[in-house]
Formats: sequence, structure tokens, C-alpha cells
Amino acid sequence: MKKISNHLIQIFAWLWALITLYPLIVTIFCSFKENNEIYGNMFALPKEWHFSNYVDALFSANMFRAIGNSLFLAICTTILVVVVGLLASYVFARMKYKFLTPCFMLFMLGVMIPIHTTIIPISKIAADIGGYDKFWMLILTYTTFQLPQAIFLMTGYIRGISRELDEAAVIDGCNLWQIIFKIILPVSKPIIATVSILSFVFSYSELVFSVILLSSPEKYPVSRSLMYFKGDFSVRMGPVFASIILAVLPLTIIYLLFHEKVQEGMLAGSIKG
Amino acid sequence: MIKKKKNLMWSILFIMPALSLLIMFLLYPVCQAIYLSFHKWTGIASAAPVFVGLENYVKVLKSPNFWLAMRNSFFFMIGGFVILMPLAFLLAKIITSKMRGVRFFKVSYYLPVMLPVAAVGLIWGYMLQPDWGLVNSLLEKIGLGSLAINWLGERTVNVISVVLVNEWIYAGFNMLIFAAGLVSIPQDVYESAKIDGANKLKTLVYITLPLMKESFKVFSVLCICGCLKTFDLIFTMTGGGPNHSSEVPATLLYMEAFGSKNFGRGNAIGVIILVLGLVLSLGLNKAMKSDD
Repeated sequence: MKKISNHLIQIFAWLWALITLYPLIVTIFCSFKENNEIYGNMFALPKEWHFSNYVDALFSANMFRAIGNSLFLAICTTILVVVVGLLASYVFARMKYKFLTPCFMLFMLGVMIPIHTTIIPISKIAADIGGYDKFWMLILTYTTFQLPQAIFLMTGYIRGISRELDEAAVIDGCNLWQIIFKIILPVSKPIIATVSILSFVFSYSELVFSVILLSSPEKYPVSRSLMYFKGDFSVRMGPVFASIILAVLPLTIIYLLFHEKVQEGMLAGSIKG
Repeated sequence: MIKKKKNLMWSILFIMPALSLLIMFLLYPVCQAIYLSFHKWTGIASAAPVFVGLENYVKVLKSPNFWLAMRNSFFFMIGGFVILMPLAFLLAKIITSKMRGVRFFKVSYYLPVMLPVAAVGLIWGYMLQPDWGLVNSLLEKIGLGSLAINWLGERTVNVISVVLVNEWIYAGFNMLIFAAGLVSIPQDVYESAKIDGANKLKTLVYITLPLMKESFKVFSVLCICGCLKTFDLIFTMTGGGPNHSSEVPATLLYMEAFGSKNFGRGNAIGVIILVLGLVLSLGLNKAMKSDD
């Protein structure tokens, strides 16, 4: 009896692994094929390996530039979220002024606001302040969406760090700036890693704001570039599949290298309070 | 005294960047959305919005597409509880067991969560393509060609297809929530249950599930609040079509605003999403906390 149920679970474990990985493997197969091998025979291994699909994807379909754009957006957003968030979190965690409580509540309200509510006003603001079709507008928008969560996580973490550390630094003559970046920052590495992962993954993949705020194709990040292929079956499909593989590659590599930390971080981001 | 004043100055200086971003790009836009939801506006900067009172809301609430979108969101929620929850729980059982290859399973199950949703939507769009897609080719190979339908082109079926892809993505994520609950149960509870002669099913029903209440709460909050946030997957897989049959509130908002240039009506939908989102997350958190 026990044996049978164990076997069933084991079979299911492999089955779900297959269901999860197979579509991705088929996508890899197709990325090396020509159309005639894709239509009707999607699941088969390629008979000929067309590596040129990747060259076409990188340069003709401009995935090289799109990945660069996405990485640029993701890196800028992550740095801004960590720096701006850390400064505010330190104040929220350590200072006891009366006005801080309502400010902190505002950020907690921010955690709950669905971002889609803001897409029309943000496109209007972008037009008003000249942020339309500009990277900085996207970076500031992404940063803002990630800040409430980052501040929540970092404030909670800094509260758990002993105050004696700060006091010792004050005696040694450190000012607040030095306390934050020389004392708190090194001790807070785990939570900064969590916040960085959340911000990076979000801003690398983000779609809707890049759709409404960008108009020049040379500025498109990966998700926006991929939309270009949607529903278009007349083109050569090989390079399309190659583009998808290239688009998912950076995050996949990061994930495979640091999977424990990534899983832990993304879980922390979802369970707030 | 001077030092105290200095600290106050620094504190204000340190929260200013975060606070100004929050106000400028989140709170002000929300106020603007509420303001514009009472106005008719075509999105042209020179044409001033005209106050129309509740008209946008009335039009939205009277439109069948809106209720269809709400129904579709509801499908996402139902799918979450009926498919995602048992599936994620089972996967959590697997990755916390002593089975061979646990590390491989854990890494693979979670992989879809990492991929940009636009890429996943595109991949599954091709897999479900009716003429040469993977799913229909496989069905024909095993002699079930009659089941090979147009997964994304038929009413209701298309929403269910997208819901299933949604579960495919997030099974690995919710697995971690349940796994965290499973590993927090002390091992000696199981041992004493064994001594008392409880079988596997009894152990599951009377020990494991009650002790994992927290995980189920977290799952429920995320699932219910998350179903209003669906956008990318619908947008990339069906675009809300055909004929608005697979629209969810967020894509409907986008279509009203950037497709039909009804920015007022789009904002009315935005405000509805906002109110529902706030009520759901505040209400659920309160209900879950008072339960303890």
C-alpha cells in the first residue's frame, strides 16, 4: 500500500517535470529549425541544425539590442530601488518623529495599489513632463512600483539589527550617511539581495508600461520586442523561437546560478505581513 | 540639541527621494485616475476633460464586456483554488520528500516563474496554435485528433486555456509557500501519530493540513488578490479576443483607453480595479488575522 502511493507520487514528480520542461525544450528545438520542420512536426528533434536562426534573431530581429535595453532598465531600477529604499528604510526603522508613521502608512498603501490603475495617468504625466519615449521615465516608474515593497522588507530587517551598532559608530564619529553605507549596508546584504532580485526580475520582464511609454523600436525591451511576433505566422518561425530563447536566457542563467537565493527572495516578496 | 536638529534634517532628506517618487508616480496618478474617471477625455492634451459625473461608471457597469471580464477574472480565481492549490501542495510534498532527484525537481518546477510572462505567453500561443501547434500535433499522433480544437479562438475555452497556462507558471511558486509550511511541522508530531496508529490519510487530514493553516491563508490571499492583476498573459496570448471574449478588467482598461480612446471609461475601470483590490487585500488580511 505504502509502496504504491510512493510510486504514484514518483511518477507524478517526473510527469510534472516533463510538463514543465517539455514546452521549453520544444521551443529550443524549433529555434534551430526551418518552417517546414516546425509545421506539423514541432516536437521532433531538428534534422538540420540552423544556427543562423540565432544570428537572425540577434541582429535582424534586434534581440541583441532588446536584451541590452532590458538589462539597462533592470540594472538602473535595481540600483535606484536599493539606494533610495535603504535611505528611507533606515529613517523609518531608527528615527522616532511623529510624521514618520503616516509616511510609512503611505508606502504600505502603495503595496496594495494595483499598478494597472495608474497606466492612463502615467501616460498622461509622461506626456506632460516630456518623459514619453524616454528610458528615465520607465526607470522612475519601475522604481516607484518596487519601492513600497522594498521599504517594507528593508525597514523590517533594519529594525532587527542591534542599535548598539549605530551607537558605536556615532561614538567613532560617523555621520548618518556613513552609518547607512558603512555599517547598515554590509549587515543588510541578505535583504538587499532579496530586494534586488525582485526589482531586477520585475523590470527586466515588464510589459505594459513599455507598451504605453515607448514608441521607438530601438528602445524596446525584450517583452515589448516579443510582442512584435505575436500572431504573425507568415514569417520564418525559426528566428522567432530563437528570439524567445534569447529573451529568457539572462534570467534563466541568473536563476540557475543562484536558484536557492532567488526562490527564497521571491517568496519573501510575496509574503508581506 | 544641535545634533538632534541635524538628525531631523537628515531624516527628512533621506525619505524625500522615496516619498517624492511615491507621490509623483503612484499616489498622484491614482488621484488623477479617480478624477478622470468622472470626465470624458479623448487623450488629446489640448482637449480638456469634460465633467460627466457618473456616466463612465454607468456605461462600464452596463457593458456586457465588463461583466465578461469580471467572469474571466473569476475563472482565474476558481482555477487557483481547484487546480493550483492541490497541484502546488502535491509538488510541495514532492520537493520536501526524500525522493531521488529532489533538487532537480525543485529547480525545474520553479523555472517558469522566472521567465518573462510575455515569453511564456508567446511560447504557449505557439504550442496551442490550432494547425501545427504542439498540443494538437500530439493529440493527433495519439489518435485523439477530434479533441484538437482551436484552444485560443473559442469563447470560454480560450479563457480556460489561459488559466491553465497561468497555473503552469505559478505551480512552482505556490509550491514554495506550501513547502515552507510543510518543513515547519516538527517531525516528532508525525512520529507520535504513527505510534497512535494513524494511517497516511488520517495523518494528512488531522495533522498536516491543520498545521499548515498559515500556508493556506497566504495562498488564498495571494490567489484572490492576484486574479485582478492578470494582464500580461491575456495580452500576449489572446489580446482579449476574439471579440473581447477573453478580456480581463486590466486588458479591458487598456483597450478602452488606448484602443477606443475612451480614457474616462478606462479610468473608471481602473478605479473599480483599485477599489476591489484594496477592499480584497484589507478585508482578507483582517479576516485572516482575526481568525487566529
